[in-house]
Amino acid sequence: MFSNIEKLGGRTISVIEELGRLGHFLLTVVTSIFSRPFGWKELVKQIAFIGARSMPIILLSGLFTGMVLALQFYDVLARFGSVDLMGSAVGLSLIQELGPVMTALMVIARVGSSTCAEIAIMRNEQQFDALTCMAISPYRYVMVPRFLAAVISIPLLTAIFNVIGIIGGYIVGVFIKDLSGVAYMQTIIDTITWSDLRMSIVKSLIFAVIVIWIAMGKGFYVHLEKGVSGAEAVGRVTTKAVVASAITMLFADYIASSFLI
Amino acid sequence: MSDNQTQSKTAQEPSKDQVLIQVNQLDSAYGERKILKGIELSVKQGEILVIMGGSGSGKSTLLKNMLGLMQPTRGEIIIDKMNINTVDKQQMLKLRRTMGVAFQGGALLSSMSVGDNIKLPLRQHTDLDESTISIMTRLKLELMNLAGFEDLMPSELSGGMLKRAGLARAVIMDPKILFFDEPSAGLDPVTSVELDQLILELRKAMNMTIIVVTHELESAFTIADRIAVLYDGEIVKTGTVEEIKACDDERVANLINRKPREVQIDGEKYLSRLTEGAE
Amino acid sequence: MSFECSDHLNYKVLHLTGEVDLSNSSKVRRCLLDILDHGQSVIVDFSELTYIDSSGMATLVEGLNAANKKKLTLAIANANGAPLQVLELTRLNQVFNLIASVEDIKE
Repeated sequence: MFSNIEKLGGRTISVIEELGRLGHFLLTVVTSIFSRPFGWKELVKQIAFIGARSMPIILLSGLFTGMVLALQFYDVLARFGSVDLMGSAVGLSLIQELGPVMTALMVIARVGSSTCAEIAIMRNEQQFDALTCMAISPYRYVMVPRFLAAVISIPLLTAIFNVIGIIGGYIVGVFIKDLSGVAYMQTIIDTITWSDLRMSIVKSLIFAVIVIWIAMGKGFYVHLEKGVSGAEAVGRVTTKAVVASAITMLFADYIASSFLI
Repeated sequence: MSDNQTQSKTAQEPSKDQVLIQVNQLDSAYGERKILKGIELSVKQGEILVIMGGSGSGKSTLLKNMLGLMQPTRGEIIIDKMNINTVDKQQMLKLRRTMGVAFQGGALLSSMSVGDNIKLPLRQHTDLDESTISIMTRLKLELMNLAGFEDLMPSELSGGMLKRAGLARAVIMDPKILFFDEPSAGLDPVTSVELDQLILELRKAMNMTIIVVTHELESAFTIADRIAVLYDGEIVKTGTVEEIKACDDERVANLINRKPREVQIDGEKYLSRLTEGAE
Repeated sequence: MSFECSDHLNYKVLHLTGEVDLSNSSKVRRCLLDILDHGQSVIVDFSELTYIDSSGMATLVEGLNAANKKKLTLAIANANGAPLQVLELTRLNQVFNLIASVEDIKE
């Protein structure tokens, strides 16, 4: 009985410890943005990795998401005899919700996991110790470019996801369900307001910070992982980072929605 | 390795007895686990000091403390008249530029080529012309017998090559102090001897102060001016190679004669350890 | 560190004084390449030089390369002590034309 309470207590303490550590990590990364020299080359490289090379999966997943949405909405809207609202239904759900969330999930799968593993391996191979000893801040040199690249790329990827999703909806609505293409586009233009777009941008910015923060932070502290070391620890923190960033992102999505709708 | 090993160590004359690194009453621990107890150590300008000990003796922890990568629980470390645990951040960065560290596995950044790794400190800290940087890098690569490996990625190099590339990066800024973690671990005997010669040459030509952490006896006896023997987190003996060889402390003698440590067995406790928790 | 130029026959003599290191080797570089650009051969005088680091060495290597391309000469005079040992460590003593003193150069 007591041992269970002890375990629970120990767990709680280690969770609080980790939150403190990751909080401090984020704060150090953000303040390091302003230290010189700035790593432009590394930033460009990371934007290429996080942004440009995520394009194929964002295009594909955006297209299919939009197509599925159109099918689903056609079925629902047909029951109320209002299939002409298809455009705004697809557009709104993409821009407000599915665009930011699906993009973030795709980035977690592609970039979050590999960034976490890469940073964990750098830790294991003493690369951060080496940087520190060369008087080069690991935060400034390694973390800041990745952080900024995520914050720049993810909102752009979200915007692309939204557009391609709407095109996917158009394909299903107009070519398969024989709706009017002009009406589809017109309802989108009529119903979507600036505040919907703002919501999309704000959410994607918040998700970008969460995704890259947790991926980098989990990897950076791989050596503090209890009971494992080496490759096993890298595997474990990577899994944890993916799960933790997905859940944190969805939780933040709820909070953001309740404030922004 | 042809040139004059017969020549005496002339370069280190000016400030021979000046203490460059001083470790006072150092304790260090990982959480509850105490690793180092009351370490006293001093390193003189131009000296090669070897910290020797078996695995688990605390030698890596001592190195981490001296590099400022770990905070001691007690005591102080003074490098070049600065207490590295209390000195302000800017001073520490300045001090770090005068120190080079060669890590055990090289610790090259995996995202860039060997050449870019070696150039990194110069590109970050100096405004030297790129052509000068390139020649400096090749000079160091030649020195480490790594000519032509500039454009390879670290993942394409063998363990010994990584170690030498790490050393090239450590000395690219011509540091005053060089730390070298396990130079000969995992190397074939020939490469290991070459590396020892290189350490001696670096000291002679650049008047570097060199701290080497190792468990390899032969390497230690070849390069050391003085050896500090670490055992169970304590320094049991510091002295010249001859003094260490002649030392009659059992723990030092065992290390030198490669005798495994004798385990005192208490019969009852041993039995209870073996059967504890079993039905 | 300071340096000054003088003439010896049709050579420019570059006297280096004190320590050449990361902080000042780019000045030496500019001066050296400047002389060579004007089509003159150079003798680098080490007699007052107490220390030269690898950035200084790299600068001289660059100078030698530039001189060779222009069919000019770059020689090092009076190398001894620490600078000579650095030359030997990097095996550059086998690359440079080392002379005992500036006066050794005759037409």
